[in-house]
Amino acid sequence: MRLIKTLRLASRDYAHEWQMSGCFVLALAAVLGPMLVLFGLKFGIVGGMVEQLVEDPENREVRPVSSGRFDLDWFGNMARHPDVAFVVPRTRSIAATAELSSARSSRIVRSELIPSGPGEPLLPADAALPDGLNSVVLSPSAAEKLDAAPGDTISASVTRRFAGSKQRVHVELSVAGIAPVAAFARDGAFADVRLVEAFEEYRDGRAVPELGWRGDPPAAQRSYPGFRLYATSIYDVEGLRNALTEQGIEVRTKAADIELVMRMDRNLSAIYWSIAVIGLIGFSLSLGASLWANVDRKRKELSVLRLVGFRTGDIVWFPVTQAFYTGLFGWLLAVGIYVAAAYAINTMLADQLANGQQVCVLLPEHYALALAVTLGAAVLAAALAGFRSARIEPSDGLREI
Amino acid sequence: MAQNVFQSRNKAKPIVYHLRDVIRDRASEGVTFRLRVPSLQITQGEKIALIGESGCGKSTLLDMLAFISQPTDLAAYRFRPDIDIDAIDVARMWKKRQMNRLGDLRKRHIGYVMQTGGLLPYLTVRDNMLLSRSVLGLGDDGTVDSLARELGIARHLDKRPDTLSVGERQRVAIGRALAHEPSIVIADEPTASVDPFAAEKIMSLFIELAEHRNITVVVASHAWRHIKRLGLRRLAHHTQRSKDGRTTETVVNG
Ligand SMILES: Nc1ncnc2c1ncn2[C@@H]1O[C@H](COP(=O)(O)OP(=O)(O)OP(=O)(O)O)[C@@H](O)[C@H]1O
Ligand SMILES: [Mg+2]
Repeated sequence: MRLIKTLRLASRDYAHEWQMSGCFVLALAAVLGPMLVLFGLKFGIVGGMVEQLVEDPENREVRPVSSGRFDLDWFGNMARHPDVAFVVPRTRSIAATAELSSARSSRIVRSELIPSGPGEPLLPADAALPDGLNSVVLSPSAAEKLDAAPGDTISASVTRRFAGSKQRVHVELSVAGIAPVAAFARDGAFADVRLVEAFEEYRDGRAVPELGWRGDPPAAQRSYPGFRLYATSIYDVEGLRNALTEQGIEVRTKAADIELVMRMDRNLSAIYWSIAVIGLIGFSLSLGASLWANVDRKRKELSVLRLVGFRTGDIVWFPVTQAFYTGLFGWLLAVGIYVAAAYAINTMLADQLANGQQVCVLLPEHYALALAVTLGAAVLAAALAGFRSARIEPSDGLREI
Repeated sequence: MAQNVFQSRNKAKPIVYHLRDVIRDRASEGVTFRLRVPSLQITQGEKIALIGESGCGKSTLLDMLAFISQPTDLAAYRFRPDIDIDAIDVARMWKKRQMNRLGDLRKRHIGYVMQTGGLLPYLTVRDNMLLSRSVLGLGDDGTVDSLARELGIARHLDKRPDTLSVGERQRVAIGRALAHEPSIVIADEPTASVDPFAAEKIMSLFIELAEHRNITVVVASHAWRHIKRLGLRRLAHHTQRSKDGRTTETVVNG
């Protein structure tokens, strides 16, 4: 009851002095707002960098330096390796091309064929995948040249020299989907490993019974000169590389780049955190000092309350309530400042970023943390100052000039 | 009201304040001031005037009577605001630093009028006057309105203090000191900041209101001539200054 009375008096005083209260709120927001923006940038940029690093499949790729001989057993073993997310055989690169054409376009597009399969890391998780000998996913540049859309049918052809004459075969392919730009920038098509393999067999003069292509009988033991291999995460790249090197397979990875960016992330984080901690301490102190001064300013009024019989404990609630208001409104205003600034920054840089990526980001828990720190510092300072005011003799407080 | 007065006349009047060898020292910059009260007794319903030059220690004494300033040293300090209760050993409360209990005594039994100000700027005149009632859990039962009428400030009730003249503010302060129907009112030069004519008027009004309610009054002032006419008892005191002028001592007896 007495507490409610004190809270009500404190609120009325706060409203009555709205100009003064407004100044405190503004002063708080002027410090907290930019700090939130700084946090947002740190979180957005560094967080985005790490995310990109982790998510970009290119960073997880492990490529063989030179061609070797990898048989199906080897691929089976690698596929079972826990650090391997995706592995498919690669054919000779000269063989892995085809001439694509479509009814809608007069152009013939010479495209690379990328052996692919379930779990293709370069394509979005929910995208359609090439399946079987009659479907492909086109790279955007190839799709544009062919004027092809998902569901369309295109034709692929390859030639070979066989038995002294030039031969050509065609195969009808349906377009299962179009890959994003980031997946493959040149003219290309993601195709089922079996299709890529079939083209290579044909070029090598062998028969492909599934497609009705004639030639020499297929080799007894198939082996491949290369592979497409992706680690489960960037942190597994190093281990995989060591494992492959032990097998005598020399590979190229982005391990050095990864290490560099991760070190940069660590250093940048350290810098940001030291700025943040210093800023936070400074912020708490400045907030505390201004609230402390405000309580001193009100000492006479607090003494009047004690004169009419308010207890020491009640008196402390008076500045604490007002500090709570200042903290809350200051925080709200700071969040407003942050939201406006973040929106401006993100829209300004929108065209330089991948879709959905943002430079300035805060999570709900960051807002909550800012509120907790603000209210904590405010209430603590006000309570200490309030106790001090409540401890001096009321007569001294009343006679203050 | 008349019956109340009659009753209290019939009973032996209780001693509201009983002080013995109470000392309060104040020192700053090497200059010390000491207020000494060898003996002071104030009985219920008495109207006491404390008259003296500026700086002689009037406020110092009144603050001790209102429990807002602690004596430096004391032999006995008893307070009996009501005939129905035993005398309270205030000296003990002070020694134990029970400030909240002293505050409770003040809020229940004492009204205090400050020399200047003391009104809360964020409350209306009515709420300022109600403040002393609301800390006791008393509601607005019309006391404030009738007090305001008697004090001639009824038309200002819904204004804030900063729109009032200084004299009007002092009347509000008197109103607040009386609103919770205390048995003792202490007033520290309540009319010092208004012109002599208004001062006389406000002081007469104040004493009249207190008389009406059979309230014990202790008032400090430096205008004896007017106070005398209102029939107050003057508290004897004398002030001594040491030769080097560094120590001043005021002794109050009564
Ligand atoms: N906080 C303080 N610290 C030190 N000395 C003080 C303090 N307050 C008052 N004094 C001294 O105590 C003495 C008495 O002060 P007090 O306020 O009681 O005088 P007063 O009689 O009420 O004067 P006035 O009529 O001007 O109000 C003065 O000499 C003053 O200098
Ligand atoms: Mg004085």
